[in-house]
Amino acid sequence: MSVKYVPVQWNPNKYVYDAVLLVCVVLYIFVFLELGTADASVTQPINGAIVRMRAFGSCAFLMLSVILAIGPLARLDRRFLPLLYNRRHFGVMTFAVALTHAVYVLGWYFAFSPTDPLVALLTANTAYGQVLGFPFEVFGIAALLVLAILAATSHDFWLSFLSPPVWKSLHLLIYPAYAAVVAHVGLGYLQDATNPAFALLFGGAAMAVGALHLAAWLCCPAEPTVADEWVAAGDAGDIPDGRAVIVRLSPSERAAVFRNGRTLSAVSNACAHQNGPLGEGRIVYGCITCPWHGFQYRPEDGCSPAPFTEKIPTYDLKLEGRTVLVRRTAHPPGTRVEPTPLPEDVA
Amino acid sequence: MSDAEDRSDPFFIGWAAAPGRLRPFLAGVGLCLAVLFGGVGYIAAATQADPGSGSGGRRETAIGVLAYDPYPLLYVTESERYPAGHTLLLSGNAKFGVQDRASALDGRLVQVSGGPVSRGDIDMLRLRGGTNGLSLVEDAPEAPPVPQPVSLGRWRLTGEICDGQCVAGAMRPGTGLAHRACANLCLIGGVPPVFVSTAAVEGEEFFLLADADGGPVTDAVLDHVAILVEVEGEVERRGNLLVFRIDPGSLQVAP
Repeated sequence: MSVKYVPVQWNPNKYVYDAVLLVCVVLYIFVFLELGTADASVTQPINGAIVRMRAFGSCAFLMLSVILAIGPLARLDRRFLPLLYNRRHFGVMTFAVALTHAVYVLGWYFAFSPTDPLVALLTANTAYGQVLGFPFEVFGIAALLVLAILAATSHDFWLSFLSPPVWKSLHLLIYPAYAAVVAHVGLGYLQDATNPAFALLFGGAAMAVGALHLAAWLCCPAEPTVADEWVAAGDAGDIPDGRAVIVRLSPSERAAVFRNGRTLSAVSNACAHQNGPLGEGRIVYGCITCPWHGFQYRPEDGCSPAPFTEKIPTYDLKLEGRTVLVRRTAHPPGTRVEPTPLPEDVA
Repeated sequence: MSDAEDRSDPFFIGWAAAPGRLRPFLAGVGLCLAVLFGGVGYIAAATQADPGSGSGGRRETAIGVLAYDPYPLLYVTESERYPAGHTLLLSGNAKFGVQDRASALDGRLVQVSGGPVSRGDIDMLRLRGGTNGLSLVEDAPEAPPVPQPVSLGRWRLTGEICDGQCVAGAMRPGTGLAHRACANLCLIGGVPPVFVSTAAVEGEEFFLLADADGGPVTDAVLDHVAILVEVEGEVERRGNLLVFRIDPGSLQVAP
């Protein structure tokens, strides 16, 4: 949370996160260039530029696979949520690694000819009508462009400027970008690999990403929506103190009903920052706290504590016996709604 | 204990200290990531395919008779490295041929100088720039006759169309789909194309490619570079070099 834009809001967790990332990337590149390649069974050494483009390219693919695995992992096991916290830095670093791969490719395969390298990139192979020999480079270009756009718009300024729904939709382009990378590798380098190990690693990573998304989707099915003005959110006694239950109000709208001591309050389930699932958060120091990036809101009015200015919609609540009911129509963001006292018989 | 320190279900907040119970788990995740990255990096690198035996060497000089078609060749008459009668393919440095320099020297005795690359039956010299790389031998006796082509019949071969320079060792690997665009750029630049056959003809697997009329191949082959293809044509021997004069219409992806 911030009251002004700064390049990076550093904190100790981000330092640790980025340090681990850097160690992983440096380790990958070092092991690939210095240890693995030395052990490769070759008659003549592979050109250094080709080894480097392979190292950075395969590293970028692995990084992208891990990035896409974090979301479903965090949904399946909340202990992975800290990996999601600084995922934007992961994305920016992945773009840098992918760009390095592209620079090596341009400076080697597409250089030293009468044709300008960038022109050659688009004209050297134009066999778009065939699968084998398809210009797989275009998939890599498309993925790199998407990664560039996502990296450039990763800052909170763009999140605020574009609005969270638009920003979120834009950043979902990571999925077509990943598909493009799979096609890029599948129609290119994979066709040349004679040892099945790379195919197993590559296919395993892509399938793991797909399987994790499927598992997360299966374990968290969408709740049915009812048409009534008041929507049941369950038994008041089932809401632990400081936690929430999430209730689906429409296909695109959910509310989070939080228990704060002996009162209940309902707010939008979407954080104003990145649409994070507030209902999976906690009440910390009296404020609803988003599990993704720690943005905070007061339960009774959906406003961030001063000096912060974020606001989320609030909802009316009522009780029928012990059953909590949420009114489907939201109040404008920041509207105060008097908290509802818990029934006497709820411990 | 803060509100975030719930012993049964610790809650991580980015701007706060990580809950104590979560730290061992996060340390384990970091360690697993490091092992994953190191392990995948090693396996991906150690299982890279062999780029083949193509290799280069120190600068060489040779004298011989230049033949222009289908691509510049030298029938060696005098050299420390190559025996007399040996056939050398000629190209420029990088992705350039030497047609512009060789066109006026067809059938003449010339001196060539450049970096050698070789693989299997293919020997190529990547000529230095200008007359340092290719020059007429002044005051030379009349050039000896070049070997006449000997037909080895009509063949249908399966193999890969490559650029002669990269396949011979200028790039390692210089074959395969990842190298396809580079090979096309070499062929467009005038580097002699080479057909690497899956089966030997007269004990040789590398053929200089030519069009059916004996001239250079057309751009029609570009869509078939770097993939396994079948193609039909006449094979002929010129010195120790086999030339495959292909019918471009018969080119097809190998089943």
